[in-house]
Amino acid sequence: MTLQEAVDRLEMKPLSALAKLSAEVSGGYVSDLLSDVMANAKAGDIWVTLQTHQNIVAVASLKEIAGIVLIGGREPDKGTLAKAEEEKIPLLLSGLPAFEVVGKLYQMGISGKR
Amino acid sequence: MEIRIAEDLKADRMTIEIIDDGSGMDEEMMQRALDPFFTTKTVRRVGLGLPLLAEACRMSNGQLCLQSCPGKGTTVRATFQNSHIDRKPLGNMGDTLFTLIVGHPEVDLFYEHRKDGAFFSLDTGEIKADLGDIPLNTPEIASALRAGILSGLQELGV
Repeated sequence: MTLQEAVDRLEMKPLSALAKLSAEVSGGYVSDLLSDVMANAKAGDIWVTLQTHQNIVAVASLKEIAGIVLIGGREPDKGTLAKAEEEKIPLLLSGLPAFEVVGKLYQMGISGKR
Repeated sequence: MEIRIAEDLKADRMTIEIIDDGSGMDEEMMQRALDPFFTTKTVRRVGLGLPLLAEACRMSNGQLCLQSCPGKGTTVRATFQNSHIDRKPLGNMGDTLFTLIVGHPEVDLFYEHRKDGAFFSLDTGEIKADLGDIPLNTPEIASALRAGILSGLQELGV
């Protein structure tokens, strides 16, 4: 499944790196602790979080994450948006809570198995 | 290097200070030091140490202050509201300290941990002077050092 398909099905709003929406999503991870994401996320994951600080872009870049879903309608800081564009990391805004986002992605066939 | 930790229950504040006498930073580098995409490492473009510490402070109603002077050294001062529900636990300081010491025995490390009036401190510079030629990370010495650190911190209630 591509990020674009996830965007369409979950009615998310892509905020950055639109050219990267064709990327394949190989798995999923949900966590708000950056140290935990550093340890456990995999390249190609779609990462679901409520964190909006620009550190999420650094972590996503380091771990080669396919895209970040920001939940609960939490808009990223200006700095985060700029960095995400620069680093070509798609930020996807969802109004849903994390549990709903993960549930729907899971139903679409995205696995969180490590 | 100095590591000073102060847990003040009355003032509801935890402070961590890391003071070195290294090469220091100018004003411009200090600004950039908190940018996760700035690093002096050559192996990758991302440096998360200070940015994540700054975020941990922010999340617990505290802040990170950097003070530095080129040629003199740097002080990193991290403060946290002690009782804040998102203030992360300090963790196993004993083994962390021990690992730091035996990992870099050449560094003179002064460690001070204050908790409500009581304190524990350790000065590897002094210990090394007492040991003379015997290296700090000789197995028997290291073992005794670790035991001393753990019991000292345990007495402090850390």
